[in-house]
Amino acid sequence: MREITYREALNEALLEEMEKDPNVFLLGEDIAIYGGAYGVTAGLWKKYGDERVLDTPISENAIVGTGLGAALTGMRPVAEIMYIDFIGLCLEQLNNQVAKIRYMFGGKCTVPLTIRTEGGAGRTLGAHHSQSLESWLIHIPGIKVVMPSTPYDAKGLLKASIRENNPVVFIEHKMLYNTKGPVSDEEYVLPIGVADIKREGKDVSLITYSRMTLFCLQAAEILAKEGISVEVVDLRTLLPMDTEAIINTVKKTNKVIIVEEDCKTGGTGAEITAQIMEKAFDYLDAPVVRVAGADVPMPKSPVLEKLAIPDTDSICQAVREILAR
Amino acid sequence: MLKEIIMPMLGETMEEGYLVSWKKNEGDKVEKGDVLFEVMSDKTNFEVEAMDNGYLRKKLYEPSDDPIPITTVIGYITDTPDEPVKTEKPVDTAQKAEIKTVSEETKPIEKKVVPDTAGKDEQGVSGRIKVSPIARRLAEEAGIDIFSVKGSGPDGRIEKKDVEEYLSGKKADASAESAGEYTVKEWTPLRRIIAKRLSYSKREIPHYYFEGKVVVDKIAKIKEAKKADGVNLTYTDFLVFFTAQAIKEYPLINAALINDEIRVYPSIDIGLAVSVEEGLVVPVIRDCGAKNISEISADIKQTAEKARLNKLTEEDMKNARFVISNLGMYGVESFQPIISPPGVAIMGVGKIGKEVIVVDDKQVIAPVMSISFSFDHRIVDGAYAGMFYKRFKEIIENPVLD
Repeated sequence: MREITYREALNEALLEEMEKDPNVFLLGEDIAIYGGAYGVTAGLWKKYGDERVLDTPISENAIVGTGLGAALTGMRPVAEIMYIDFIGLCLEQLNNQVAKIRYMFGGKCTVPLTIRTEGGAGRTLGAHHSQSLESWLIHIPGIKVVMPSTPYDAKGLLKASIRENNPVVFIEHKMLYNTKGPVSDEEYVLPIGVADIKREGKDVSLITYSRMTLFCLQAAEILAKEGISVEVVDLRTLLPMDTEAIINTVKKTNKVIIVEEDCKTGGTGAEITAQIMEKAFDYLDAPVVRVAGADVPMPKSPVLEKLAIPDTDSICQAVREILAR
Repeated sequence: MLKEIIMPMLGETMEEGYLVSWKKNEGDKVEKGDVLFEVMSDKTNFEVEAMDNGYLRKKLYEPSDDPIPITTVIGYITDTPDEPVKTEKPVDTAQKAEIKTVSEETKPIEKKVVPDTAGKDEQGVSGRIKVSPIARRLAEEAGIDIFSVKGSGPDGRIEKKDVEEYLSGKKADASAESAGEYTVKEWTPLRRIIAKRLSYSKREIPHYYFEGKVVVDKIAKIKEAKKADGVNLTYTDFLVFFTAQAIKEYPLINAALINDEIRVYPSIDIGLAVSVEEGLVVPVIRDCGAKNISEISADIKQTAEKARLNKLTEEDMKNARFVISNLGMYGVESFQPIISPPGVAIMGVGKIGKEVIVVDDKQVIAPVMSISFSFDHRIVDGAYAGMFYKRFKEIIENPVLD
């Protein structure tokens, strides 16, 4: 199978969906002429022009509000928020309108809006451009939150998000854009809300998502040499969460470490842990462990930034500890 | 004012006790001297009195099979019925002298003991074991006692693989037998105490052993003569009496190693290992060095009767320095008994049989008793114990009762 980057995979998804459905259009800051801050929309303005690829003013609230209005009229907008760090500027639209309007109007309208954004640390962009804020969003009933880790998943899930009749926040990771992976030539769509077991194992489960999946797979490779069999479960979608996959992996290995880049306190791992407590407590052989980001604003220093998020070493260490090795 | 009720230390080696029952309810008025609760420790049940007037306001522990370390706060008494009271168990279990025990009324000969470490048991896990949910469930499903599984996880947590390994071991054992079945018998608190004390002894006390034989023809004659006078004396009576006479000359055989001190006691207190229905108890005959054989015999009879009726108290059983264990009636030739802490030595009495001995270069048939000793090498060395044995043998083979 051919190998392409995460960025190219996303670009293909947009292209294919725009080709297939004239109601699909893109809007966001610098996505048209410039091709997007991370190049995801490169070439699309040239192909589809001003009508379907719109550069907007620097106003997140306006971008999402416009997307909502268009979606209510039957369009399938794909809005881009350049950094998730600025999601707060459009939370009124997202939380109070986008997420609730179908419910409050008794189902008479739907909001087929996709909001693409990206987050995470790794480029030493400092406290304003490196955050992982997904746990804020999974607290909003009415939206879906997708966070793919590979080019294959990114393409299949972005296509699914655009076709979804309910609002989706699609969170990319700035450190993944240049990562390569196999992506089929043939058209495919992946289901939202279904986790993927990226590596089978029997001693301990690492439940993770987005960039941390790559670290977990590296850790699993190292630990395999020590005779430890690690299962890596990539959630891919955080909302709705694939609790069945979580329960199954707990039943299989009985030991769980959640690996997440976001701050530990009140993070996504806390929700996963609670799900395990409620639904799989009797299968646990050890307390659930979280390997998570430090509860600090992301440091600008490259040394400190590295220390503030999990890495392969800290994951390996947690595995050895839970197995008392 | 808030007053703590603690798990008392009822013997020099007591580390934990079992709360058997509360004798008062929360809210009850309590007067100094009222029996407040009952504790089982070192094989006896013991009623503990309130030290203060007031109200029993909070029970932090309920009766259970789990041991509670000494000095643990188990409840609170307050002066008034409605002042605020703490409801959680305090972490600090420092020694507090808020209560006294009935036994302390009877003047103890030993120096009073204050424990230097509180609330610590031998595993250092203060009585609570950690079990993972799945290990607990597997153990329940298999019907096994989780206490018998050894944990290998962090902090000794019992995990799934520990239960599985235990079960596969069990299965291997069971499949070796043709039927492959077994019955489970409860590991009772008494048996657990025996296990704990004797494991401690074997682990901590460097034992060494003597074996010997004593000719008991003269004792047999005295026994017969006394019987003719209507006085029944047993070999145990003689052994206690003459052992005490020998110990008088070798006082270290009546010592104990406690809190890094070798304590030598004036009162020669000899314990007797007595088999009871559930296990083994060791009632103590006090001050044997100062008693004649009839007094000792009477004490032993009274003690045996109490043991039979299960009426022995903590006071009856604590602090034997020298213990006699007799298996001779079962035809046992000799055995090496385990020292019962805080004792320094234990005597194992084997059977009395007729043997050919040499007296004045002539062969004579005489009753001979096999006898063995286990000594605590921390307190006495072999030479000293050997001298004691030599003296004991002289005394018992040439018995003088008065």
